[in-house]
Amino acid sequence: MSIVKKAIKPVEVLVIAGKTKRVTVKYPYQEPILSPEFRGSIEINPEKCIGCGACVNACPPNALEMIESQDKKTLRYYVGRCIFCWRCIDVCPVGAIKGTRNFELATNDPLDLYTYIVHSKAECSSCGNKVETVKMRKYIMQKSPITENYVNKCPDCRKKSFINAISTRKVGFHGE
Amino acid sequence: MLMHSDSIINEYVSLAKSMKGDAKAEKDTVHIVVPKETLVNTASKLFNEYNCDFRTCVGVDERPLNGYFSVTYIFTDNKNGLYILVKTYTEPQNPVIPSIVKTVPGADWCEMETRDLLGIEFADRDQYRLVLPSGWPEEIHPLRKDIPYNYRPPIRSVSEKITPSTELGVIPIGPYHPALHEPEYFELYVEGERVVDVKYRGFHVHRGIEKLAETRMTYQQVNFLAERICGICGFEHSTCYALAVEKAAKIDVPERAQYIRSIVLEVERIHSHLLWLGVAFHVVGYDTGFMHMWRVREKIMYLAELLTGSRKTYGLNLVGGVRKDINEEKKQKTLETLKETEKDFKKLVEVAISVPQVKKRLTGTGILPREDAVKLSVEGPVARASGVNKDARRDQPYAAYKYASFKIPVYTEGDNLARALVRVDEVLESISIIEQLLDRIPRGPIKLEDFEIPEGKTGVQVVEAPRGGDIHFVITGHGKPYRWRVRAPTYSNIPALKIMLKDQPLADAPLTIASIDPCFSCTDRVLVVRENSKTEWLKLAPGVQI
Repeated sequence: MSIVKKAIKPVEVLVIAGKTKRVTVKYPYQEPILSPEFRGSIEINPEKCIGCGACVNACPPNALEMIESQDKKTLRYYVGRCIFCWRCIDVCPVGAIKGTRNFELATNDPLDLYTYIVHSKAECSSCGNKVETVKMRKYIMQKSPITENYVNKCPDCRKKSFINAISTRKVGFHGE
Repeated sequence: MLMHSDSIINEYVSLAKSMKGDAKAEKDTVHIVVPKETLVNTASKLFNEYNCDFRTCVGVDERPLNGYFSVTYIFTDNKNGLYILVKTYTEPQNPVIPSIVKTVPGADWCEMETRDLLGIEFADRDQYRLVLPSGWPEEIHPLRKDIPYNYRPPIRSVSEKITPSTELGVIPIGPYHPALHEPEYFELYVEGERVVDVKYRGFHVHRGIEKLAETRMTYQQVNFLAERICGICGFEHSTCYALAVEKAAKIDVPERAQYIRSIVLEVERIHSHLLWLGVAFHVVGYDTGFMHMWRVREKIMYLAELLTGSRKTYGLNLVGGVRKDINEEKKQKTLETLKETEKDFKKLVEVAISVPQVKKRLTGTGILPREDAVKLSVEGPVARASGVNKDARRDQPYAAYKYASFKIPVYTEGDNLARALVRVDEVLESISIIEQLLDRIPRGPIKLEDFEIPEGKTGVQVVEAPRGGDIHFVITGHGKPYRWRVRAPTYSNIPALKIMLKDQPLADAPLTIASIDPCFSCTDRVLVVRENSKTEWLKLAPGVQI
């Protein structure tokens, strides 16, 4: 490379700049540059949700939480903690959660950051305790009708009746 | 390279036997257990005679399992692609282990970290508080299993002041400084314009994530936590974690998933190096180059979003595979983007490096000689710019790197220009790796649905992050890791700054600090305090008890 060429080499950046022109967009007046795969906040369909808590178990930052009370189960989504990983969408058994491309989540009212889905709990037919939601009971019966006999009971009563059933049989666990 | 010949493994086994210990080999990992009396000898043999690379050490509270504390020193045999784990046990009352710092200087930080977090003492070396803040109570060691993760001890706050010096000027940089991007603190001691000594202190963003993962997260959730260790090379961390768990549980992940991991890792390397080159130009005052480099990088960011769903923190990895497939359309788009990027990048770098000011500022500054690089076990481009030919992608091939052929750029000058050129070359190599892998990617599933993770197994993995070898050490537990240790590459590289900055003009200090591409928050996943061990007057401010 000649000395002159070497000396003017740095100026070539002007050529690059001239060819490239403007690469930014006038957001928010223009559409932001997003790829089709972009993951934004999630939407939970309260009609479909059965309150099983699979999403709560999978959620890494605990943005989804299950709040238990005497006869209600409340699924709370707090977008302030959400990392937009969409693991909840992967694990939801009924497809109640949908991913959106929404990332403009700033708000004046902090309460806007919460979404609540309230489920009422079903009563146990023998002890009256309330454990799982009404909708979940319905879902289980649809999925495996064979459970009809004991689906109305809470897990504790189910265990008890199972043990009773075994102990009343002549041959127990170890019987020959 | 993946065939581990029995003769080499037998050598390690007989070494362990001669040290009154025992060894067993599992795939690419040799587990050596030695009594603590012969630990120093074993480490010195491995480091000096077998030329193993020292990576880090891990303390584990194994009292719930077997009643002992243990410390595992992690070495790698880069020539044969083996991991050598040297483990020693100590009794829970008054736990003491001999220190290997005198033979392996790179073990300085990790031993002090173990001392702070687990309360294991290291004999025969100077002791200082490295990890915990100065007001933290002496007797509480957070990584012991009997301390709950949400325990908050009463802390008396101690303020720290700049170290006074009568002979030399002291220039503090940080903890929050416009030239640095993360909270860290340097004290430069100057004679006129010349830097004569450096003190580093970076501890400001300790988040105790290892404890968090060990107590209240599940195997799959930790992937997402690991990804958040670093804002730039997060995917390396989540891949490293997933690979370590998969190795411990002996899970065979589908080939296609491994290919996708490698491809995305390389996309991340390209964006990281472009980011660094931009920052380097910014630091030397060439903002035109900075803007254009980041413009080129923006295409790679879009590509990352297309392949994974997010510009950063991809959320792609799970133990057992990946979550998103690469279809034909994405493949074409990727190849197209890479072609454009390669053209743009080559043109731009040629122009930028020809700017006389840039070239002058980079050449001959911040020199790290090869001997020091080996002694301190530095990682990544810092090591390769000082003539140390190591790269985990070739030495310990993981994911799908064994299916790609690539060159590893090595420079011998050891100055800032060499570190820049290593990264420039690596960008071009990465582009070629992605093209090769996309060409050869096999069909098939992208994740395993059913697998079991047995308890009490150990897995260690090195992943070559843009900044160097990143290490994750996992002991499996019930539904979550029993112990998870992360060592980010900057953890090994910061001690080398001391040598690079010495006898340099002050004006070059920000560039040299930037030249290791430091990632302070990754390093500080634990707190770190650097104390000079040689010069007595380099003590922390009065009032701080160490």
